[in-house]
Amino acid sequence: MDTIIQQLFNAAQLGAVYALIALGYSMVYGIIRLINFAHGDIFMLGGFIGLLLTTRFGWMPFYLLLPLAMLLTALVGVAIERVAYRRLRNAQRMSVVITTLGVGIFLENLVRLTVGPETRQIPARLPSAPVVWLQQHLGAFVTWDKLLIILISLALMAILWLVVNRTLIGTAMRAVADNKDAVPLMGVNLNLVIAVTFAIGSALAAAGGIFYGQAYSIDPYMGIDLGWKAFIAAVIGGIGSIEGAVLGSFLLAGVEVITVAYLSSNLKNGIAFGLLILLLLVWPWGIMGKPTLKKV
Amino acid sequence: MSTQPQPEHAAPSPEPGPSRVRFWMVCALILALALPLQLSVDAGLFPDVLNPYYLHLLTIIGMNIILVASLNLLNGYLGEFALGHAGFMAVGAYTAALLATKALPSAAALPPVLGTCVILVVTLGGAMLMAAGIGYLIGLVTFKTVGDYLAIITLGFNMIIVNAIQNLDFVGGPRGFTGIPKNTNFLAVAVCALLTLGLLRNLIQSSFGRVWVSIRENAIAAELMGVSIARAKNWAFTIAAAFAGLAGGLWAQNQQFITPRSFDYIKTTEILVMLYLGGMASLSGSILGVVAYTLLMELLRNLLSAFAPQLAEWRMLISPLILIIIMLTRQTGLLGNREWRWLRPRQGA
Repeated sequence: MDTIIQQLFNAAQLGAVYALIALGYSMVYGIIRLINFAHGDIFMLGGFIGLLLTTRFGWMPFYLLLPLAMLLTALVGVAIERVAYRRLRNAQRMSVVITTLGVGIFLENLVRLTVGPETRQIPARLPSAPVVWLQQHLGAFVTWDKLLIILISLALMAILWLVVNRTLIGTAMRAVADNKDAVPLMGVNLNLVIAVTFAIGSALAAAGGIFYGQAYSIDPYMGIDLGWKAFIAAVIGGIGSIEGAVLGSFLLAGVEVITVAYLSSNLKNGIAFGLLILLLLVWPWGIMGKPTLKKV
Repeated sequence: MSTQPQPEHAAPSPEPGPSRVRFWMVCALILALALPLQLSVDAGLFPDVLNPYYLHLLTIIGMNIILVASLNLLNGYLGEFALGHAGFMAVGAYTAALLATKALPSAAALPPVLGTCVILVVTLGGAMLMAAGIGYLIGLVTFKTVGDYLAIITLGFNMIIVNAIQNLDFVGGPRGFTGIPKNTNFLAVAVCALLTLGLLRNLIQSSFGRVWVSIRENAIAAELMGVSIARAKNWAFTIAAAFAGLAGGLWAQNQQFITPRSFDYIKTTEILVMLYLGGMASLSGSILGVVAYTLLMELLRNLLSAFAPQLAEWRMLISPLILIIIMLTRQTGLLGNREWRWLRPRQGA
């Protein structure tokens, strides 16, 4: 029983990181129908910006460090959209996708060359004592940092949900997702809406990167693996849907934790991708996605 | 840049007549140059001019041409976005490596030239068959989807293949496969690359292959004309996979050491960069893209290590930058939808 609860918390922690990345994929896809393959590397960059801040500005408390890293990464995300993607917005779909691939490799190599290829750990800034209450009542050994990561992630997702569903900019984002051509005619600044989407997605990914660096470790190529996993999660949940991205992330993390705990850690990636392919075949639009019609 | 010009799809209609230089003449010329080159490098003649390094570069170019041209079949002519080419290359490489080390006798036990030829034919044939078989099975699943989802699924299969090989102990698992005999040389690669180009060229111009372009242009119209879309796509996928397997088989027997990680997503991206640099739906573009990219990378390596050795690694930033710049400025690549005249078929033939 206690190990099951512990595994549940492990899955929730991993799922929270996946969800923070998957939301960025899903939002960008929902709005401009673009698979942003560089998003996993934005997540990696967020982790390294967090590392830089913690090592250079050691006095900075976590509640300042996290928003600052999110802000910086958001700026990078917006800059990339401005420089590399905006000009291609009306081009063939695949041209943009390939550009995002290029941006991703560029970021990986840039970090590798400037920081180094080693695996690093962000110095712990969250308390790592076990949660006494859980230990006494459920017998599960869960540390505070794990619990905090899960809770802060859920809070960020709740804020995102409020922004998308309760604010003017969120309404504009949903409108663009619905009809990109009609929205500018209504006087909405399309470029601004898209920039804000990239900013939010990048900021969430940065939070994910820092959490990942606190819980595990970071290296310049982690964006490939985790980015793909998060992307799978977004697709399983139904890409373009915020609730779907979160649901898919926790589902995928659950499957992965079970695989590692009861089968073999070598099979982790194979099973994740197998699950993706299987789900796409029986459920092409994901759990919460909307089907698109094929038009003549 | 609100309205991008539509890429000039469709056949280049009013073509000038084909040139007097025919495809077979180019092949004959290349082989006539390759044979003495290979022999004199092997014999160690003129070590200053005929550096084995140049031959190695040419070998790499030849193998990359096979990879890029076969991916062009899918991404250029068929107009899908397949992202798993390195996976089929891995299948070919491991099949050829297994055949060469476990099933066949070593080349030393056979008569000198003929023995190597036999080994090459068997290993490469096995690699192509295996890759084609797996490509066929994967294609059955893959082409239930289109567009973005197809890209994801092909990439997913690439990851699964790499992951599966990592879990197979008898091929070395994550440590890699060592001790593969060196059966491939530049001459073999040149012959294979020319055969690939010739086959693909004829296929694409045949009625069998024109179906692919018709699907790219308008799948629904093609279907109304009686084209079985699923079958045509699966054929393209199987053929492309077979050639990727061929390149993998050559690769394994040239490098003599392969690891699963060298066939992951990064390799696929490298193939894509060369493909898009050269241009979509153009075999001439595939050749040009590979040559230009490989030479550029080597030039940068040499220049940087000569003048700024501390910056030598920074060339890794150049390749993604090239990709981004091509996409921003010239989306059809250097030779998109165009062919050199000697690669076009004869009119009315």
